[in-house]
Amino acid sequence: MKDTLVGGGPKEDATDRRPATRPEHTAALRKKRLVGLARPWLLLAPSLLVLAGLLLWPLIQVGKLSMQDYAVKFGGGVGTFTGFDHYTDLLGSALLWKTVLPNTAFFAIACVGLTVALGTLVALLLNRLGPAWRLICSIAVLAAWAMPAVTGTYVWIWLFQPQDGMVSQIAGSMGLIDPETTNWFTERGPFYAIATLNVVHHGFPFVAITVLAGLMTIPKELYEAGELDGANAWQRFWKITVPTILPVFLVVTILSTIWDFKVFTQIYLMPGGDGANEEVYNLGVFSYIQAFAKNDYGTGAAAAVLLTLLLLAITIVYIRTLFRQGEEDQ
Amino acid sequence: MSVRRTTLAARIGLPVAVAALLLFALFPVYWMISTALDPKAVTRGSDVLPSGFSFEHFTYVFEKGNFGTYLLNSAIVGFGTILAAGVLSLFAAIAVARFKFRFRTSVLIMVLIVQMVPLEALVIPLFIQMRDYDMLNSLLGLTIVYVALSLPFAIWTLRGFVQTVPKEVEEAAYIDGASWFRMFRSVLLPLVAPGLVATSIFAFITAWNEFVFAYTFMKGSDKYTAAVGIYQFFGENSTAWGPVMASSTLVTVPVMIFFVIVHRKLGSGLAAGAVKG
Repeated sequence: MKDTLVGGGPKEDATDRRPATRPEHTAALRKKRLVGLARPWLLLAPSLLVLAGLLLWPLIQVGKLSMQDYAVKFGGGVGTFTGFDHYTDLLGSALLWKTVLPNTAFFAIACVGLTVALGTLVALLLNRLGPAWRLICSIAVLAAWAMPAVTGTYVWIWLFQPQDGMVSQIAGSMGLIDPETTNWFTERGPFYAIATLNVVHHGFPFVAITVLAGLMTIPKELYEAGELDGANAWQRFWKITVPTILPVFLVVTILSTIWDFKVFTQIYLMPGGDGANEEVYNLGVFSYIQAFAKNDYGTGAAAAVLLTLLLLAITIVYIRTLFRQGEEDQ
Repeated sequence: MSVRRTTLAARIGLPVAVAALLLFALFPVYWMISTALDPKAVTRGSDVLPSGFSFEHFTYVFEKGNFGTYLLNSAIVGFGTILAAGVLSLFAAIAVARFKFRFRTSVLIMVLIVQMVPLEALVIPLFIQMRDYDMLNSLLGLTIVYVALSLPFAIWTLRGFVQTVPKEVEEAAYIDGASWFRMFRSVLLPLVAPGLVATSIFAFITAWNEFVFAYTFMKGSDKYTAAVGIYQFFGENSTAWGPVMASSTLVTVPVMIFFVIVHRKLGSGLAAGAVKG
């Protein structure tokens, strides 16, 4: 990977810098360049230290832990090396293939699809509204966004609460369910449908606001020119709007994918989501339960590594998209 | 653009779409606040309007639930995170946006990669690390973790803002004989201030909303953050919905106020971060 990075560096530099040497300032610039060599690293050092110490080092540790049986002893832990045992156990378990992975993947795909589709539709809507309604709708969208994952989850649980919840009572009064016996949270399908609602409600504002910002960069003249050339609304949308927001669209899709694969809080807080119901495990919850409820840090770490590798694959796509886009901009 | 040709579909479709959006976006918020205010919170069921107004659930969470301490803990951790993450990310953003140096692209890619690292992967080793250094149950320990969590996004967003400051402005300052620090203070800092505000809000919200680490690390109930503090009102079988929704409201409303205040900057900040990438 490093080769491509170094290879990509100078190309980028050559384009976004203007010629640095002006004869009358050569001496001053030479001195400045010497200082300049150290300065970026001095500026970066604190951030890199924090990131290395709290994100990178633990990531290495989790890799190491996944190959150990870790036992908590008084005053510290002792790890016994077990090689790839946790991985073979994990990859050989029916729970992973029948429950954990399908839950994780289908949930993520549903959430990303709905979040991006709804977010884009809302952005297009906001872009068509007059200033007053746009402000009102933007504030509503911001309100949905501002709701923390924890409180948002509690509200959705409360809405779907067996017996007392609003949705349960309405469905009961319409004769769709028996509110006394129906519990939406015990089965995988309804459980994840509610989780999807929750995650989409929390996630679509980011897409809407970002895509809207992209839409607003399109000059109005382009549409006027298109109209003069006889393009109808549909053609103007596909020829002007879509190409302009495509880069933004790609970024929000990939970011949503990364976020939705690692949803934890929303699942963990739902009834049965904290490990009581194996049916609704996803990869993050499974890892957490193994480590902290079952004290099996090794298997928990192995599941965490699996999740990380999955997200790494998605991130590579993300980065390639971003940098390809960066080159096109210049 | 096509406002002039208002078709029938648009005349009906637009209000319907606006109504649907407002309902979907706001109903959960409304339901939370109105449950919090309803004295008969548990039996209200399908009644859209609360049966009465009372602040009893709010006083309950403060008097019986010690929620004031949790809010204070959240605020301490939040402002600590803003301060540290703001300073660190500004330095880093200037470095990656303004200087050319070897491995600049590598640094940027590393920043992006750590953004995707799942918290669940970090929580196990960090828990062990924190325990070994005796940092469990410590607000400082939690703050350090949140600084790390908010840095990647902050660096990435601020980088976009620093890039929008024309290089000519900086060069003009140099030609006028200003030192780098002078230029930084009087030219760059005022121009990236909006970006700094946006990233600070994000850092604050990251810390304010975070659940997994706070839940795992803070075991003494006087050290709970507000997001974790709600958990104690939530029972597996019988939940006191009034207090849960009252404490949820207390956690949510400050964030909403922030969002509404900075929403303009938020949009441009995100676009700068996303598009300038």
